[in-house]
Formats: sequence, structure tokens, C-alpha cells
Amino acid sequence: MSAEQGNSRNKIKRLCIYALLTAVCLIIGYIESLVNFGFIAPGIKIGLANSVACLLIFSRDIKGALLVNIARILLSALLFGSPLSLVFALSGGIISLAAMIILSKCRQFSVIGVSAFGGVLHNMAQCVVGACVIGVGIFYYLPVLMISGVLSGALVGVLSGLILNRMKSENNVQ
Amino acid sequence: MKKGDIIICAVVFAVALILAVVFFFAKPEGKTLLVKADNKVIYEYPLDVDREITLEHNTAVIKDGSVFMLSADCKNQICVKSGEISKRGECIVCLPNRVILEIR
Repeated sequence: MSAEQGNSRNKIKRLCIYALLTAVCLIIGYIESLVNFGFIAPGIKIGLANSVACLLIFSRDIKGALLVNIARILLSALLFGSPLSLVFALSGGIISLAAMIILSKCRQFSVIGVSAFGGVLHNMAQCVVGACVIGVGIFYYLPVLMISGVLSGALVGVLSGLILNRMKSENNVQ
Repeated sequence: MKKGDIIICAVVFAVALILAVVFFFAKPEGKTLLVKADNKVIYEYPLDVDREITLEHNTAVIKDGSVFMLSADCKNQICVKSGEISKRGECIVCLPNRVILEIR
């Protein structure tokens, strides 16, 4: 009985953590949308919400990373976006998450490299979807998107690394 | 920071640089401007005649063989900020109004 109670308590705790992280993602995403990075190159953003996915992946919680990321994308499209932006966000989100999960299994890469690669693939996937929607001319923008993806991804990776260290030293890794 | 991280960043930078070089320097100057709406060509203009093109939501300008978007009624103004194009295959995209200016 008590083991069963402990199990369901653990499940509830996990559910709360996922819900909390999804909310954090949405707020970060919203705050980010208020800051316009268009002066560097049009359509650029940091993707800070991806740090949550990094944290979950590097805490060995792949299922959580998938759930939180998909919930974040669906909810932010419902709240701030359109059907078209949902297609863009979903393609980028799923492909970059898959790449990050695979890469995090290799020991040669830290959270910085994994996040940078995720950033690049996110932008490349969106470029492919963009080509389907408006034509192949958009591929001329790919080099800019790749470099901005690797830079912003590395930045998110550095941030996630700092948070992961903090979590380890606090000794409450989820 | 591990060795693999640096390799990833270096490889991405190298690929992006090669793509950029291929895209931006190996392209001939274009001759005509295609104006597309909803992926269909609606107008075609030669680049050697200066003119202003007024569309439903956008205004484009051909001047000295290059094309730029003068104005757009959308919120993000990405097409206006994308500057001038003159080489074959280059384009200016206005995603909100589904308008593309493409050089051929």
C-alpha cells in the first residue's frame, strides 16, 4: 500500500514538474518574442525555451523532454501563433529534439555542442518547411540561419550547462 | 566544453561559409523580375527599365538593375528590411502577404 502511494506521489510530482517547466517555456518564449533581434538578421531568435529541453535531456528524462517540448509548441501556437506558425515550430522542434537526444547519447559532446547542433537543425528544418510553403528561393538564406542557429544554440547550451552544474551541486537532480 | 562541441561548431561554420560562397559569388546577374503571389507568377518585368510596382499590399521598386521592396503593410516588415537584390535566383519574400520578388 505504502509503496503504491509512494509511486503515485512520484507520478504526481513528475506531472507537476513537467507542467511547471512547460509554463516556464511559454513565459520565456513570450518574453523573447518581445525582444526583436531583426536588426541582426530578419527572423532570428535565441530560442531560450530550448534550455528546458536541454536540462531534461541531460537529466536523462527523454520522455519528459518530448512531452514538455510538444506541449510547449502546441500551447504557444494556440496562444500566440497561427496554423502556419504551428507547422514551422513543430517541424523545427521535433527534428532538433530528435537530433539532440541522439547526440546526447554520444559521450564526446557536452550540453553546448548538443544544443548548438539542435539549434542548427531547428533552423534547417524550418528552412525546408519554408521552401515547401513559399518556394526554394528561401534556401539562399540558409547560411545565415545555420550560423545564427549554431551561435544561439551554443549560448543556450552554456546557460543550460550553468543550470545543470547548479542542480548537481544542490543535489536535487530530477 | 568538450572537443566534440568545437568540432560541431567548426563543421557548421565551414558548411555555412561554403554555402554562402556558392550562393553569393557563383551567381550571374539576373535579367528579369518575377512577381509571384501565392506561388503563381503574376507579373514579369525587365530589370533594365526603372519602375515602381504597386501590388495589393506591397510596393516594389526596380532601379539600376536591382530590386527592393519600398513598403509593405505587414507588421514585421522583413521584406522591406531585406535590402536590394540583383542576382539570378535571389528573392525577397513577404510571408504575411504571400508575395515573392524573384530575379531570373
